[in-house]
Amino acid sequence: MSSASRLAVWAAIGLLGATSAGAASFHHLRIISPSPLEAVAWYARHLDCDEVPDRTDAVACSGIELIFVAMPTMGSTQGTGVNHVAFSYADLASKMAELEAVGVRGSGVRLQRSDDGSTLRDVAGMFKHGFLFDPWGTRIELVEDPARLGFHHVHLSASDPAATLRWYRQVLGGDPDPLHGADGGLRLEGRWLLASRHLDGAPAATRGRAITHVAFSVPDLGTEAVRMRRGGVEFEGEPAAPPNGRTSAKRAFAQGPDNVTVAFVEPGYAGVEAARSASGGVETRREPYEPPRTPWGEPDLQGVWTGNAAHGIPLERPANLEGVESLTAEQAAARRERGTLGSIWGYEREWRDTTLGYDKMAPSTQVAMIVDPPDGRLPAMTPEGKRLAAQAQVARRRVLARPPAGPEDLTPYVRCITRGLPGMMFPGIYNNGLQISQGPGNVVILKEMIHEARVVPTEPRDPVGPELTSWLGDPQGRWEGDTLVVETHRFNGRSPVRGSSAAMKLTERFTRVGPTKLAYEFTVDDPTVWVQPWTAAFAFDLDDEQYELVEYACHEGNYGMFNILSGARAKDRAATGR
Amino acid sequence: MTAHRALARTLDSESLSGRVGSNRVRLVVAAGFVSLVVPVLGPAQDGGANRTWDGRPDLNGIWQAIGTAHWNLEDHPAAPGHPDLGAIGAIPPGQGVVLGGPIPYLDAAREQREQNFETRMTNDPEAKCFLPGVPRATYLPYPFQIVQGDRKIMIVYGFAEANRTIHMDKENPESPPLDSWMGRSHGRWDGDTLVVDVEGFNGEAWLDRAGNFASSSLKVRERYTPFGRNAILYEATIEDPTVFSRPWTIRLPLYRRLEENARVLEFKCVEFAEDLVYGHLRREPTR
Repeated sequence: MSSASRLAVWAAIGLLGATSAGAASFHHLRIISPSPLEAVAWYARHLDCDEVPDRTDAVACSGIELIFVAMPTMGSTQGTGVNHVAFSYADLASKMAELEAVGVRGSGVRLQRSDDGSTLRDVAGMFKHGFLFDPWGTRIELVEDPARLGFHHVHLSASDPAATLRWYRQVLGGDPDPLHGADGGLRLEGRWLLASRHLDGAPAATRGRAITHVAFSVPDLGTEAVRMRRGGVEFEGEPAAPPNGRTSAKRAFAQGPDNVTVAFVEPGYAGVEAARSASGGVETRREPYEPPRTPWGEPDLQGVWTGNAAHGIPLERPANLEGVESLTAEQAAARRERGTLGSIWGYEREWRDTTLGYDKMAPSTQVAMIVDPPDGRLPAMTPEGKRLAAQAQVARRRVLARPPAGPEDLTPYVRCITRGLPGMMFPGIYNNGLQISQGPGNVVILKEMIHEARVVPTEPRDPVGPELTSWLGDPQGRWEGDTLVVETHRFNGRSPVRGSSAAMKLTERFTRVGPTKLAYEFTVDDPTVWVQPWTAAFAFDLDDEQYELVEYACHEGNYGMFNILSGARAKDRAATGR
Repeated sequence: MTAHRALARTLDSESLSGRVGSNRVRLVVAAGFVSLVVPVLGPAQDGGANRTWDGRPDLNGIWQAIGTAHWNLEDHPAAPGHPDLGAIGAIPPGQGVVLGGPIPYLDAAREQREQNFETRMTNDPEAKCFLPGVPRATYLPYPFQIVQGDRKIMIVYGFAEANRTIHMDKENPESPPLDSWMGRSHGRWDGDTLVVDVEGFNGEAWLDRAGNFASSSLKVRERYTPFGRNAILYEATIEDPTVFSRPWTIRLPLYRRLEENARVLEFKCVEFAEDLVYGHLRREPTR
């Protein structure tokens, strides 16, 4: 039954217009996160929610629970009938400053900026407010409402806000109270359910999205359910204590207007015990494996491989993971989701190859890419390396101080020139395909991003002269047992890795360590910059059956560059007032 | 007589037009030109091309077209180029590589070609460092490398980091899932000729610097036939009913780069085209 026809039925039988006796209140929001543990820590740290004794999957925010469940997510709250959840702070400016200081990358705090770059808006007649996202796609509003701190409201996105709020009022009770700015609102025990008009077609169902349902506590579910049923509420099954429930308190689900899943719970309801399988990822560890041979007798590395599983592995070992051998599957899933969601602002999850639940490769549990030095950190820089790094930083600051004057102020990757070496081998959030093809005496290494092909000869040849430098250098390959070793030099130095210079010599090793696993290892030897060489490793997975590289025609469709530069010129004009 | 001269004579011969590669026609040709061709190239059909592990002609190596097809596929007299470049920028004269007369454009398409020519300094995808498409990539004035394996044959071009995967391992290829600049290539052997069918083009690529073009309906059938150890006879039949009144064919030799230490050097041209593409958006506009 559609929302509209459901409303019509209630109107016809006279339910609309009669309010219930005991008002309901917010009980919990069910939020998807691949790592409930990390979600608990995140909401406790950033939104001042309290951990719940004996629970590792929930926090209490002003007494209202956020219950985290590990499952694949289909996308953020935006676009569904539940747009966001809001928290109130007495001093919002300092809260925002605190979140900004945390930084965006890595921490999983993503602040939404308005056109002028600010994160805080102060519109007359409304609360001061700003928006952010949790690392898993839940949109969060922070407001400054000194009268009601902490958990503040849930904001619905409705096809018909008035009708939607009427439905909730009939079902839950409460008092109409539009609050500032919304198209309408309902006050439930001092918190608000607000509704604004959904601007883009019909809202998507909440099921499977970052907030999967909103749960309300009703005083007596048995009696209330009978009343709601009479009014046409269609429950999905009888009110019941869930299997694996922590208590015997019952709950029931129903579809609210606009495909919002609503749960009703009895007092004492405490969620469902989460079950999680622990599956670790196999890494670049060498196992005895005899790779297939090409018809002409070389080890056969051919096929389409992807680096999706490795996406999220940091180059250097994070300080808080000192001595940790590998992550748990849950930590790995959370890390990759952070990397996936945090990489590029605003890309829908469905777009990303690395979204959990879409990608069949389990995220890697490897702690860091650097394996030598053994502490997983880059070695010390030489005095010359430090001087070059400082110089580069000064140059970069100078460029960043103003909007880009032209394409040269942007990175070679943004310009669609190259990701450099070893940069082009690193996994990202999408188009991670690696196609290896071989002919006698040559290996072609083709990366989907950004359609860069390297032809590596495995028979010795003379190197090019020292003046003939290029972005990807001059490679020379050889077989060491079943390992393809590629040594590359003659770089132009314009696409460095962590401050490397044009003098870098790069040595890469490709070893097939299992039928579907390709170990990749590279050593950067750049004595100008570092006191010793350093080596990093990760793995690619064979995906030959269904993966075909697309033509990543980057420069040909670089609308981003047009937009960046035309935006920069608009900023110039605004700055000069012309 | 050198192999090159023999090839030139063969190419001059009208009787070969559009028919090289068909075994039936080959026999006729061999009978008619026996004194010209056979004594030079020997009895082997491919003139003694190298062979791979499975007995196929070995196309591995670095190849390059020589001529002016990249300027204009058709006959063209010398003409001025960009005035700033003097004689360096002038268009050298050249004999066409189209078999059997002018390119059979439909009327509206011919107008488009003329318009392309007028605006070529800024609109030619080559000027913008865009992927060159097929067959244009073949006769750009740069070397390219063929890496011939058992499942794929890769062609890696220096210009614009262009490359192609020729799938040799798909018996019944599905239609290309996405349109692209370089299309999707499926190959098979027809005797000693590598036949490659290419389709799934996005219709953005041009065929030369003279504004010759095709649309996204383009289908190209390429034929790579070894001609001795150091040359390949390249033919491409171009079929596009929205632009041309009938399929037509180009034919030109590809020569092995024989320099010791020859290689396809990286030619990432984006930065040389940025002024053309983005100059009007600079803080100090250059266009």
